[in-house]
Amino acid sequence: MTQAKKILASGITEAEAIDRAKGGDAEAFEMLYGLHKRRVYSLCLRMTGNTAEAEDLTQEAFLQLYRKIATFRGESAFSTWLHRLAVNVVLMHLRKKGLPEVSLDEALEPAQEDGPKKDIGARDNVLAGSIDRVNLERAIESLPPGYRIIFVLHDIEGYEHNEIAEMMGCSIGNSKSQLHKARMKLRDLLKISRAEKAAKR
Amino acid sequence: MTCAEFQRVLPYIIDTGGNAEQEEHLRECAVCADLVADLKYIADQAKLLVPMEDPSPRVWQGLQKSLEREGLVKSAPARGSLLGLPSRDWGWMAAGAAIVLLLAGIFFTRNTAPAEKTTSVAAVSAAPNVSDEDQQILNSVAQLHPDLRASYQDGLRDVNSYIQDAEQSVKNDPDDQAARQLLMQAYQQKAALYQMATRSTQ
Repeated sequence: MTQAKKILASGITEAEAIDRAKGGDAEAFEMLYGLHKRRVYSLCLRMTGNTAEAEDLTQEAFLQLYRKIATFRGESAFSTWLHRLAVNVVLMHLRKKGLPEVSLDEALEPAQEDGPKKDIGARDNVLAGSIDRVNLERAIESLPPGYRIIFVLHDIEGYEHNEIAEMMGCSIGNSKSQLHKARMKLRDLLKISRAEKAAKR
Repeated sequence: MTCAEFQRVLPYIIDTGGNAEQEEHLRECAVCADLVADLKYIADQAKLLVPMEDPSPRVWQGLQKSLEREGLVKSAPARGSLLGLPSRDWGWMAAGAAIVLLLAGIFFTRNTAPAEKTTSVAAVSAAPNVSDEDQQILNSVAQLHPDLRASYQDGLRDVNSYIQDAEQSVKNDPDDQAARQLLMQAYQQKAALYQMATRSTQ
């Protein structure tokens, strides 16, 4: 659905709500919040893995949106613009907290002691068809923060490596390397979960 | 090419494809082929994850205070209702809540006894992506807003898949509180979609 055609509960389009919000219309702010809150909150929750932090960051993202909405010129879709703003709010928060995002000086052959194991010489059942979204959401929550952020941005939110590299201030190669380790770690977690479920039966 | 050599370059070729030597190794090595299949499967499944949870009302309340404090709004909304819904919409909110409670009640009543969990997976797996009730809603939307039909259809398909997955998790382990919570959220999201669709056809 295009931005112009999104019709809000009150019958006005999203584009009209944006115009009205630029003029300080409180009701228009509220409509835009209602339309985008779930996606923004979900992004914050998946990136932080913490409900309270996700709520604070959602509030901060929308506050920044309202402060900056007059600068929105429609070069990209409003949701894309808002989403990027929310990602930046989360990344800024994580930097302030000093949580690991992506190590800038990581070698291409990083130590594997706390990461996923390489899979050389052992064959196991493939995952296809054996995981559902509930398990996957849980496994993503268990990822170390650095892996989780890259995985959420690339595989869930659909950002390209060059965009992630720009947002996180790392190289494209580093982004690819971290994403790979995140997927490998998820594979380990999902296989453990599958084995535990099989043992319960 | 050895498995170690292949897996060293895998992060950089998995989404784009490798050179002839790498592709040949992938064709001939079952271990690496399984690995690549798993990693692509995980990436594909991740693309299907949709936002399911709303922030608590506290977020909007805090935001509203900040907006007023900073003078970003001209005036506070005149209505006192949650998220500015006109009073006539509370009827639909109540109807939606009733749908949620009905669906949840039926499901949880049927799935409190662990003995049932082994018999029901196949039935759930066969659940259609779009039910007859969904189809009726979609037809109503299509009559008045043909351009919105596809969005509602995608939304219902996503939420139905979530419900299906969450129901299966609860059936597999009725004591799994996280799965139950996810299932409730999925029901709530479906009820919200029904409300929105109904509103758009009024």
